[in-house]
Amino acid sequence: MLEAAIEILLKTVVILALPLGALPLIIHVERRGAAFMQKRLGPNRVGPFGLLQPLADVAKFMFKEEVHPTHVRPFFYTAAPMVALIVALLPLACIPVAGPIEAFGRTIYPEVFRSDMGIFFAFAVSALGSYGILLAGWASNNKYSMLGALRACAQMVSYELSLSTSVVAMIFLFGTNDIHVMVQAQSGYWLGFIPQWGVFYQPIAAMLFLVGIFAESNRLPFDLAEGESEIVAGYHLEYSSMKFALFFMAEYIHMIALSALFIILFFGGYGILPGMEGLASKSPYLLMLLQVVSLIIKIACMIWFFVWVRWTLPRFRYDQLMNLGWERLLPLGIANLIVTVLFVYFRNQ
Amino acid sequence: MEFASFVVFFVIACTLSAVLLGISSLLGQKRKSVREMDIYESGVNPVGSATRQYDIKFFVTAILFLLFDVEIVFLLPWALAYKDTTNQAFMIAGFVFFMVILLVGYIFVINSKALKWEE
Amino acid sequence: MAVDIMLTILTVVFALMVVFSKKTVVAAFSLLMTLLMIAMIYFQLGTVFISAVQVLINAGAIAILFVFVMMLINLEQFTNNREKSKWKLIVSTVTILVLLGVFALVINNNIETLSVMNLADNSMKTLFAKLFDVYYLPFEMATVLLLAAIVACIVITSHEKHEVAEELAAAKSEDKV
Repeated sequence: MLEAAIEILLKTVVILALPLGALPLIIHVERRGAAFMQKRLGPNRVGPFGLLQPLADVAKFMFKEEVHPTHVRPFFYTAAPMVALIVALLPLACIPVAGPIEAFGRTIYPEVFRSDMGIFFAFAVSALGSYGILLAGWASNNKYSMLGALRACAQMVSYELSLSTSVVAMIFLFGTNDIHVMVQAQSGYWLGFIPQWGVFYQPIAAMLFLVGIFAESNRLPFDLAEGESEIVAGYHLEYSSMKFALFFMAEYIHMIALSALFIILFFGGYGILPGMEGLASKSPYLLMLLQVVSLIIKIACMIWFFVWVRWTLPRFRYDQLMNLGWERLLPLGIANLIVTVLFVYFRNQ
Repeated sequence: MEFASFVVFFVIACTLSAVLLGISSLLGQKRKSVREMDIYESGVNPVGSATRQYDIKFFVTAILFLLFDVEIVFLLPWALAYKDTTNQAFMIAGFVFFMVILLVGYIFVINSKALKWEE
Repeated sequence: MAVDIMLTILTVVFALMVVFSKKTVVAAFSLLMTLLMIAMIYFQLGTVFISAVQVLINAGAIAILFVFVMMLINLEQFTNNREKSKWKLIVSTVTILVLLGVFALVINNNIETLSVMNLADNSMKTLFAKLFDVYYLPFEMATVLLLAAIVACIVITSHEKHEVAEELAAAKSEDKV
């Protein structure tokens, strides 16, 4: 009993600490990456290479005045940032950071809870992400916030559809919802060096999912919810100090969680990168370590991709965004699903 | 066991966000001025209320999302069950019928221009 | 066991808040909480799939729709209308009687309820096997129903749109957002 309790607590703390601890680093990469792409230096004064800048920012967030405007709806105004952060954290609960490992006489699964519906659960709770934004926009009682929230919500639900079709296609191919089985299925190699990742089976689904992540986490080119040239800052306009920081954190954690899901479906999840096999075969603990490292490397690549796209593509216009979602990506997703299913059926005949 | 783990995770996540908010409201500077309590509207005096008439397309989007989402969620158990089924032709026939109806609905939506934003 | 009872109590409390809260938005969020609590109960019974469907459809889509409506049309000005009417009394009495009758039936006849183990995660496949065999026709008919709903949604909203447009043109009032 005690052992089980310690195990749960340990897992929870590690799985919460990993993304939260990586946040300052990600924000730093984002800023330095932005600076790099715009041929300037970016934050480089606080600490070596400016690495302590995010910590200084956290301290600043804590000591800033908490403006609590009089026109807001107090309860929902305070609840909104909390809801946003909690909901962003929830999908992480069933995402494993490594494969199951035999230790202390039993199999330990390195995720908070083990379920053979893992992907579906993570996907379902990440769909709740629009509540934090909707609440914030409405509670702020401000025109810009309200418009930002409505836009964000309509955008998120629209792109969720094409994202769902790609998830269905992948679940159909793997025939399972279990993350460990999915990763196992992607562990082989073609010709000895091309990993059998899902992206090679389903490039269109991968593309749909990728676009979906951008839209769901409100990143450029889909950051219509914030669109500073039209609605200043959108749903978090009336927020300051730590409340604002929570939205910021929620956005990045949502991004990490969705990237992790993307990697599980299309890039072999925590499966070790090509070239690590020799080292991994030495001991199961080393293998586990390498799996964690591989997952972190893959997520880091995704984050860099996010930064890259942010400074490459301009923001969409709202009608373009909705047309892209409903008239391009959704039919593409449905067509992809139909073709996949029929292809699998006729190949097996 | 799974549920207990999830509840622990949930409670810790809630505590974390509450603590973060608590810290800032404890440590934060307290210097309230009247102007900063006002609605932010690019620095000019606010006009009217925030609750006004918004475009019905937001609402249409939400309803259509709900309906299509239900259809796609129906396909999830289908995708899981396909592997274990004995009568694959039967399953595929059902899938094709399902998709045809879905596509009819989709084409109707697109043709009705209910989701056209530029006008 | 304690967790069951707590979840059940929370569900009932939120459900009561839906009915009795004065503010519509509070009622909508209570509805959301009720749905999430039901999802938690499913989860606690070990059926993660059903729980996830509950979150995805009921909490993620239907409740969003409600909240959306609350925000789009400023419903705050309307409070729950508490006028007494004969019909309300009759309808609620009948509902309560029917519910009590169902309870009595279940308790007296030992009707076999779905056992928790039958639905547990690992045997989800048996449920699916039933769904795509015996109940395949209703499954397919559901999509026809959804098609009808899509058509209804488009027809109703486009009709409204014309009326609003005419009104706007006539009054030449506020600009559309």
